[in-house]
Amino acid sequence: MAAISQTTAAVRDVEQYKYGFVTDIETERAPKGLNESIIRFISAKKDEPEWMLEWRLKAYRYWLTLGDQEPTWAKVTYPRIDYQDSYYYAAPKQQAKYESLDEVDPKLIETYNKLGIPLKEQQMLAGVAVDAVFDSISVATTYKKKLQELGVIFSPISEAVKTHPELVKKYLGSVVPYSDNFFATLNSAVFTDGSFVYIPKGLRCPMELSTYFRINEKNTGQFERTLIIADEGSYVSYLEGCTAPQRDENQLHAAVVELVALDDAEIKYSTVQNWYPGDENGKGGIYNFVTKRAACRGRNSKVMWTQVETGSSITWKYPSCILQGENSSGEFYSVAITNNRQQADTGTKMIHIGRNTKSRIVSKGISAGRSSNTYRGLVRVQGKADGARNYTQCDSLLIGDRCSANTVPYIESRNPTAQTEHEATTSKISEEQLFYCLQRGMTQEEAVSLIVNGFCKEVLQTLPMEFAVEAQKLVAISLEGSVG
Amino acid sequence: MATSFITAHPFGDAYAARAGALPAVAWLESLRRFARAEIAGGLPGAQVEEWRFTPLTQLAKIGFIPAASADDVDVTAVPLDVPVVPGAVRVVLVNGVYRADLSDSLDGLDLRTLRDAVSSSKDMESAVGRVAPLSLPMVALNTAFMEDGLVIAVRGSVTRPVHIISIGAAGSSPVAFHPRVVITTEPGASLSIVETHIGLPGQPFLANPVTEVFVAEDAAVRRFVSVTEEGDAYHLATTVASVASRGTFEAFHMGLGGHKAEGTTRQEIHVVVNGEGTKVNVSGAYAIAGTMHHDFTTVINHRVGGSASRQVFKGVLDGRSHGVYQGRLRVAPDAQKTDARQVHKALFLAHGPAVDCKPELEIDADDVQCAHGAATGALDSDQLFYMAARGIDPETARALLVEGFLAEAIAEIGDESVRVVFAAQMAAWLQRRGGAS
Repeated sequence: MAAISQTTAAVRDVEQYKYGFVTDIETERAPKGLNESIIRFISAKKDEPEWMLEWRLKAYRYWLTLGDQEPTWAKVTYPRIDYQDSYYYAAPKQQAKYESLDEVDPKLIETYNKLGIPLKEQQMLAGVAVDAVFDSISVATTYKKKLQELGVIFSPISEAVKTHPELVKKYLGSVVPYSDNFFATLNSAVFTDGSFVYIPKGLRCPMELSTYFRINEKNTGQFERTLIIADEGSYVSYLEGCTAPQRDENQLHAAVVELVALDDAEIKYSTVQNWYPGDENGKGGIYNFVTKRAACRGRNSKVMWTQVETGSSITWKYPSCILQGENSSGEFYSVAITNNRQQADTGTKMIHIGRNTKSRIVSKGISAGRSSNTYRGLVRVQGKADGARNYTQCDSLLIGDRCSANTVPYIESRNPTAQTEHEATTSKISEEQLFYCLQRGMTQEEAVSLIVNGFCKEVLQTLPMEFAVEAQKLVAISLEGSVG
Repeated sequence: MATSFITAHPFGDAYAARAGALPAVAWLESLRRFARAEIAGGLPGAQVEEWRFTPLTQLAKIGFIPAASADDVDVTAVPLDVPVVPGAVRVVLVNGVYRADLSDSLDGLDLRTLRDAVSSSKDMESAVGRVAPLSLPMVALNTAFMEDGLVIAVRGSVTRPVHIISIGAAGSSPVAFHPRVVITTEPGASLSIVETHIGLPGQPFLANPVTEVFVAEDAAVRRFVSVTEEGDAYHLATTVASVASRGTFEAFHMGLGGHKAEGTTRQEIHVVVNGEGTKVNVSGAYAIAGTMHHDFTTVINHRVGGSASRQVFKGVLDGRSHGVYQGRLRVAPDAQKTDARQVHKALFLAHGPAVDCKPELEIDADDVQCAHGAATGALDSDQLFYMAARGIDPETARALLVEGFLAEAIAEIGDESVRVVFAAQMAAWLQRRGGAS
């Protein structure tokens, strides 16, 4: 709720400022609407080279040809988005909203405490002026220095465009082309920032990379663009998001994430998404329309997606793997929890192109309240993918009789030596399990949390450890008020 | 989305002239008007989700004429390879029209032709279109152009199964026919139907049969359908069944295509569960070769809880054939205690075939048990090795394994004498394949 009132307040502020984004380059926000001038403005603000602007404009012109044809196949409903009624650029230097934690909504603090988040991090997440109180900037710089020594490039993509244009040029849009889909096209035109990671040959990145350490640009805005390249024989684990509910002023998020794994490289990408889901009646909340895709280009390359999706009022997200390299493998582990009026349509695509490619999909959907939770996935085995192997498991758990769980898998096989397997179940929490837990003195909520965590265990296990611990608590919190 | 439908298709004016084949009763005229309006929207193309694997783009280009206006079609006997179902009443339809000369006597049976039923009885108004919705494109097409078919109104238990033999045959031009079979039951009644659909060589034809089944309380309808395709015909069949409390609906559909087959078969089965304690089994098997396209599409809609449904589908694919299975399982809000299962497995016998599978669950109630499984692959090399180690030659071993693979689906046929007939047809397909390769 706080987020909404802030947004409306901000909108009111800006509406008073009607002119001048051309003359006053220092302005904090570009005016509402989307046109070529806005894109030129964003590009100029970021001091981008000409080719980058050209790319953006190409995407924008293509987007115009799409009309207002958003994809409609997902099982989600939301009012039409007026793309001319949004802001596409807000300066990254966001002002701190609070002087101390005392001013922050106590409900938020309560959640942080439940998640066991240290006080300092709480301050950062809630938007307290961290520069003054938070000393981990030095921690971040130490890390940055170490990574630099190893040859890892880990920087905002807007910086990488300038410092490593050859890499960005080569890989940007090579996995998710600007013409990929409505939201990816929009993102290509107006993306504001995001991460760029390059792991050099043969290096096993010694620490988990996370946007978290890049404190100075945690407000990457609604159109985030991430590009990760793992060169031959390298390994990297990347964490995105945070278990804590983050303050966010943008309702529409259309991010694009591209991963490229070359020969023998491995990328592990973990996401915990807990954006504002709207209130009990489905008012407000983030629209999360994300395109995430990995290209396993090299032999024996491997990509593993893990996601825990608990937030956002609408989730539209299909982290995918294009398995081109011989022997490459893709894995997708997902927990999606929807409560109240949330809608999630999420899953993956595994495209087997190379020989002996493997994929594994484990999806756990939990719906409660009046929410709707859909797994939508595609496993495609192309003619040349001899010996390809896929295993898919989708389980849905229903809590309450007003929610829905859907499973929509597509399996398209063109190769006789390929083996695909798909299993799916839908059920509710068994009375016996609940009874057993209650017998042993647990409360109803504790029992449900335990059982649901057991249900998700296979996925949560794949998260880096600290993340996993927080995610477990998050699972319980997300379902609060759904039982009893 | 106007581009999703193919509006330029041959089902237009030539057909309007045939509308007089059925008596011009008011209710039928009105129903046909609605149907024509639906069809005016076009035939489904690849953009229509339900038809993405079986778009009718090619079909729309063929200049079909109404089968009944083709005067050079001459079928004088039922082909000898049509299996005999022991004790069954034979009813023969040629291009969708009842042929008394080839059929057994219908005296004393609750069975009439659609033409008779529409002209002689008033209760047809509530029977035709009662369960099959015009929103399904093939049902709309059928409703707009149907000329004949059968009406079976079952009272009590029918001991003799009814064997419907449907023969498609084109003369010098491609023909299309749209037979309608309406089956209604009184509470407690039961009926077994066997259907054999075949085509005679020649020009392509389009068979667009629609079967409506109304299963009353405690009634049971068992239906076993086999479609054999050797040429390039289109067989787009839709079955819609509505099942009341404690009713039983069992269906088994088989699709066979020889190594020269290049046609398209789609067997679409919709079941609406409208009462508690019903038992639904919709299963099937397909064995296809050549460039044949075979599509099983099922929608089981549990509108009321406390029922069980089961689906077992298996397919083997040879040549450059294309197999499709789309199964949607829907459990409505409050349809608690539903137990629904669905499985599809496809086996590749060669390099070349393609399989598309989409088993869908749409669950809006929590106290349910729903599961589906799907798998594709080739024969298990371990099993082949096991057999080779026991001195079984590879060809026999393969045949045994394929037969065993299909047997799991065939076992779903509840009626033993029918099971024998279907198993024999399947075995013959496998044998022909052995000879062909």
